[in-house]
Amino acid sequence: MNATEPPLTLHLVPPDQEDSATRRLHRLMRARETLRPMFLAAWDALSHHFDASELEAWACAVLTLAHVNAGPACLIAYWEASRYGDGRREIAPLLVAGQAAADICRHAGAQSATAALQALPGAGRVLGNGPALARWWRVMDALARQAPESVTSVAANIGEILTPGTIDAFENFVAAGLKFASGNKARRLAFFTLQDELARRMIARDLGSVTFPETELELKAFVTALWGRSPLLRSFPADNSQTPQRRTSIAGPLIRLPETYRGVRGKAARALFRAAATHAQAHLVLGQGLFPVGTLKPLQIALVNLIEDARIETLAMQQLPGLRRLWAPYHVATPSGVVAAPTLLARLARALFDPTYADNDSFVAKGREMFAASAPRIDDPAISREIGMLLGNDLGQMRVQFNAKTYVVEPVYRDDGLGLWDFGEDAPPSGEVMELPVDAVRVERQEAPNDDGTSREPDEQGQPRGRGRPVAPDDRGVVIAKYPEWDREHRIERAEWTVVREVPARAGDPRRIEDALDQADVLRNRIGRLMRGVRIGRTIRLNRQHDGHDLDLDAVLDAGIALRTGREPDPRVFRSSTSMHRDLAALLLIDISESTRDRLASGATILDVERLAVSVLAEAMDRLGDPFSLLAFASNGREDVKMTTVKSFDEAYDRTCRARLAGLKSGLSTRLGTALRHAGHVIGRETSARKLVIVLTDGEPSDIDVSDPLDLVEDARRAAVGLHAAGIDAYGVVLGHPGIQATSRIFGRGNTMMVHRIEDLPGRLSELYFRLARR
Amino acid sequence: MNLDVFRIAAEPYYQPLGNEIATFQAAYAERLPVMLKGPTGCGKTRFVEHMAWRLGKPLITVAAHEDMTAADLAGRYLLEPSGTVWHDGPLTLAVRHGGICYLDEIVEARQDTTVVIHPLTDARRILPLEKHNEIVPAHPDFQLTISYNPGYQSAVKDLKESTKQRFVAIDFGYPPPSTEASIIVRESGTDDALASILVAIGERSRNLQGHGLDEGASTRMLIHAGRMVRAGLPLEMAVQSSIVLPITDNPDIRAALSDAIQACLP
Repeated sequence: MNATEPPLTLHLVPPDQEDSATRRLHRLMRARETLRPMFLAAWDALSHHFDASELEAWACAVLTLAHVNAGPACLIAYWEASRYGDGRREIAPLLVAGQAAADICRHAGAQSATAALQALPGAGRVLGNGPALARWWRVMDALARQAPESVTSVAANIGEILTPGTIDAFENFVAAGLKFASGNKARRLAFFTLQDELARRMIARDLGSVTFPETELELKAFVTALWGRSPLLRSFPADNSQTPQRRTSIAGPLIRLPETYRGVRGKAARALFRAAATHAQAHLVLGQGLFPVGTLKPLQIALVNLIEDARIETLAMQQLPGLRRLWAPYHVATPSGVVAAPTLLARLARALFDPTYADNDSFVAKGREMFAASAPRIDDPAISREIGMLLGNDLGQMRVQFNAKTYVVEPVYRDDGLGLWDFGEDAPPSGEVMELPVDAVRVERQEAPNDDGTSREPDEQGQPRGRGRPVAPDDRGVVIAKYPEWDREHRIERAEWTVVREVPARAGDPRRIEDALDQADVLRNRIGRLMRGVRIGRTIRLNRQHDGHDLDLDAVLDAGIALRTGREPDPRVFRSSTSMHRDLAALLLIDISESTRDRLASGATILDVERLAVSVLAEAMDRLGDPFSLLAFASNGREDVKMTTVKSFDEAYDRTCRARLAGLKSGLSTRLGTALRHAGHVIGRETSARKLVIVLTDGEPSDIDVSDPLDLVEDARRAAVGLHAAGIDAYGVVLGHPGIQATSRIFGRGNTMMVHRIEDLPGRLSELYFRLARR
Repeated sequence: MNLDVFRIAAEPYYQPLGNEIATFQAAYAERLPVMLKGPTGCGKTRFVEHMAWRLGKPLITVAAHEDMTAADLAGRYLLEPSGTVWHDGPLTLAVRHGGICYLDEIVEARQDTTVVIHPLTDARRILPLEKHNEIVPAHPDFQLTISYNPGYQSAVKDLKESTKQRFVAIDFGYPPPSTEASIIVRESGTDDALASILVAIGERSRNLQGHGLDEGASTRMLIHAGRMVRAGLPLEMAVQSSIVLPITDNPDIRAALSDAIQACLP
């Protein structure tokens, strides 16, 4: 269509809205001779797919772009993207694009916004039009804020950068680039224009390689099946391609595996993951404690490791003979070649593993002999140390070269052996070991400094921990509401008596939550089963219906009897079934007062248990698709009832929420009534048919400015009654004995659940939810 | 009416694992109701049959299900050409004529259904038939046994406290490896070596319980695998078809289980 024709589309303008965006946009375009034809072409194309209200939204987006002075090139790019993008059938991605481009324009200029819009089709092809594309825009926007000069480079190279094909990889790439350059513009540009080696390596996808996340589930199940104990598996990022493949490592209870095994593909890669994880878990299950390092030299340590590996594998194969087939393919040492320590060690490893392997070397033969001689004591880890030390002396006297810095354990599936040693005072406590390079270890290969960019743990991408958050005007938090409180003595409700303040959540380490969840595997599976029970709209049977697919035998008999006795029969003799739909919103109110700091016998605090319970349930609710919100509360007098939103109703339950959950800290008191009123206020805005408030508390309400706790109990009871009147079900979960009296007074006996053993809370809380959800 | 059709003629094979036979005999001597708990395929039903044979009493088995009503247990009027005729349900049959009534997987039934057994399981030992306007006193030989599987129980499906507390309970588990191997040899006719491999395989799958499987492979499953081998199938195929495929549909778990089974084979 060209400009000489009358604009056919003007009749689409909603006549009733005098100053609609559509109208304003057309008015604006009329004045722009050069832009007009292209605008009208785009408008015409879009008007075939979208209705007036959608076009209005689109026009709004174009106006936004125009208002941030995006310039003609950018507008054209947007129109082109709107016309030809895959998103033509849906308006939402176009609106997201418009908004994001405007944001980018504000931070990085019109050129960057144009480039980003031009890169959109490429990104859309790889990522599709769903949430991944929205995340892509978020990353681009973040990039525009932090590295405005790099947006065009990223946009220009988008095809290459997205080679790995996932949005995670893209987020990782951009985060790595920002961190790598650490504020240096030139380095940033080198990275994002892909001139940097690290950048190129990050996007080079080894086709057919298997990554740890792809195989994690299967791997975990495999190892659990073998050893009867669920392994704690983690991955470390792939390393530089010039160095030998880094080995598995054991750190306390954790097994760390490489993200991928370079050059190993498909089935072979899965098999290697299995071999490595099985070997490492065999150490954890069959080994007995750590070896003290003492004065051992690196060569001796390596040999003790080797013997211990052989010992553990022998034990494992006694139980599970088929493991030999799993490990055998990796023992490829041959009795030839240079006599150097690494080859001799590999040959010895093979000789101890494979009885049919022939090797004439005297050192290998001696090792074999000694190991065979200690066969009756195979259960005793001391033999590893004895044999290893003797062999280490022998090898030392042979004057063969051994470089602890470059040595890697052979075969490839074995672990680096560091997890078997107790390095004494220098070593960090187990469990945290994986965070820190173990300097004391002579055999450890340090990560190259430029690896820093890739070796980030995933949580560091999400929530910057060290960064300051906006400080609230009052350090007690922003006042969000005032509520009345019941004065028991004078029997009146004092209006605006309590003040609720929103305290921004501190971000903790979401991995704490994820680790705890990992360890509660059995519970999660049980909850998963409960969930399957409720997810599919449960069918219920209806008896004595006027119509249905089946006769209700009892009703038929009654009717028959009635007929014969001359009474009028009940015509409802059918049975039918109907399915129940779930329409439930839930708000979990978490008590984080000082008393939740108490430790249980297990060493965990009550808050830790609450956290786990909440995260197990949140995970389930999230998967069910039930809208839910998580609020934590504590109070410091009536003027300061602190509310922390861990997850609001309109937020997705993601890592950020888990980080906030992990960041909760115990402190202050419990002014339950106010918290309940606020919870009712928050959930009251939801439209679900059923609304449920579950309060997790560990005792009776109390606060510093109230001398008689009964006052607060009575107030909370009135608040609960108020919720009930508003059609909201309130339910109290009490931890431990002390609070039961008060809580059942507040919520009523039927609406109170007591958890005697606080450790049971995670299971009980979810069960409660599912029970309530079925009602 | 005679319950002879419900009598068990030949001794059903049962390998005792603990003192369950003595417990059941004592409970029967006192006519106390018994509850058998344990995972599927560990021998609960076989045990009841064995005990019924041992005690020489008829055994009436009812498999409970979600749609079961109290009338299905107690009985109802049916229309016949001559008029309405009362028909005893299986429970009433056992109560009236003396026998062991075995309610299998009792929690599957709705809670309002299970309360009909309450008057039978306390000192009253009566079964009121409201529709028939009759109170049936229990025959001296009558005893009630129920079974349930705590494994796939959940918060939403559990026995009422008032039901639970009427029973003497016997807990069943998977037998220890050597016993389980001898059971497999006895029931499937395989040799000892194969039976021990099957037991090792069973253990691998039970390790996955709660980590991807709801329940591990039962003894019954292992016996089936043994029988498949005896019928001429190679061990790997037999295990695949009688254990791995039935037990899970999750491809990851299936692959992991197959590989773990590989590790058990010599």
